[in-house]
Amino acid sequence: MNSLTLSGSRCVGRLSMPLLAFILGAAVLFVPAVRAQGTEAAAPTAKPKTATKPRAAAPDAAASATPVKTFGNKNAPITMEVFSDYQCPSCRTFFEQTLRPLLGPSPDGYVADGKVYLVHRDFPLPMHPYSFQAARWANAAAKIGRFQDVDAALFDNQGSWGADGNIEKFVAAALSPADFKRVQKLMTGCEGATSTAGVKPASLNSGSGAQAASGCALDAYISSDQELGKSVPVQATPTFVIFYKGQKYPASSGFVTYPILKQFFDSLLSQ
Amino acid sequence: MTTNTRGSIGWALLLVGRLALAGIFLFAAYAKLKPQASMGWSMASAKTSLSMFAMQVDSYQLLPPQLVSPMAHFLPLFELFLGLWLLSGILFRYSALMTTLLLGAFFAMMVRTYRMGLEINCGCFGPGERLGVGTLLRDGSLLALAIAITVGAFAISRRKRAQVDAQVSSSTVSAPQHAE
Repeated sequence: MNSLTLSGSRCVGRLSMPLLAFILGAAVLFVPAVRAQGTEAAAPTAKPKTATKPRAAAPDAAASATPVKTFGNKNAPITMEVFSDYQCPSCRTFFEQTLRPLLGPSPDGYVADGKVYLVHRDFPLPMHPYSFQAARWANAAAKIGRFQDVDAALFDNQGSWGADGNIEKFVAAALSPADFKRVQKLMTGCEGATSTAGVKPASLNSGSGAQAASGCALDAYISSDQELGKSVPVQATPTFVIFYKGQKYPASSGFVTYPILKQFFDSLLSQ
Repeated sequence: MTTNTRGSIGWALLLVGRLALAGIFLFAAYAKLKPQASMGWSMASAKTSLSMFAMQVDSYQLLPPQLVSPMAHFLPLFELFLGLWLLSGILFRYSALMTTLLLGAFFAMMVRTYRMGLEINCGCFGPGERLGVGTLLRDGSLLALAIAITVGAFAISRRKRAQVDAQVSSSTVSAPQHAE
């Protein structure tokens, strides 16, 4: 009974057990973490086997069968799948402040270092009227191996095309005239439901049904990404899932700064 | 209902509330420290779990990046400590007060994030739980419970002190009579 009552100073001795556990726990876990932070730059993990340029896979002469929306070496120890919406402001911030350094040059650019394989997944949300159409443009560019340019152009100019739906202008500016023509050709049948009313997200239908309903061959790729997202499950964008040595880690949502994401990568690579 | 019966019920409610909060804090600490994927318990797995928790702390966009990691390492350990402290019953009114302050801070942070429209993981009991109305209601209820047990703990403590004072004063009044 006494041990449960509200006792005063005579219980101070009993305080030592949880306190000791806390101090020991803090010493064991907190100190190495702080030390690891201090030597972050000087603590390279496993040396990358191959260093690849952080570009989407090499462009084919003709359009590839499926759009290539990946960056880096497929055999990298870490795979990061990002479910994103081109018209979502958090996705833009995540791209500009986190994915750009990740895709940038060494030593911070873990994609270029062959440590991370980055996979873009489309997850346009119904609340954004032009995001589905933007995803179509990105997929068309991905089919000719120019995903990275269009991906960056879409995020960089989100505020502009997000206001009037004129996505084509920015895609044209990001590509050479020849490439833009190829992309335009792939977009045949996809122009219909763009601008004002927005595009009904085929997403929420099944993949093949969506394509049949819209007449746009690219919709199947977007729907396929969305189906994958639903299995995660993606509830908001951006959401990313990280795999390390075949192990899937729980999905994270929202904007995360690059130093913190890099710290997580480092903890995985140091295992 | 006699004063004694009411006191016993109050004491029992405090006990239940205290043990519930202790269990919740211990579980919260465990959920943040437990190995992710199929890793076993080790220093490396704890480090990975804490790095993962750091991403959740960071997504609240409240702290500068240099403070995110120290906070993410401190919080689960503090929750563990608080859970054990509540479980022990030692200096209960102070552990209850600390719990209220911590839950109040969590709740304020969650409300701010929700109002900002950030769609992030709560991070309350490990990864994978989205911050929303459900998590706000749950954490609000926990805060209400913590406030109730803090008020109860201070009230019981005050009542006990008053009883002791009354006993002391009655004994000092009666003592000279015995001497006579």
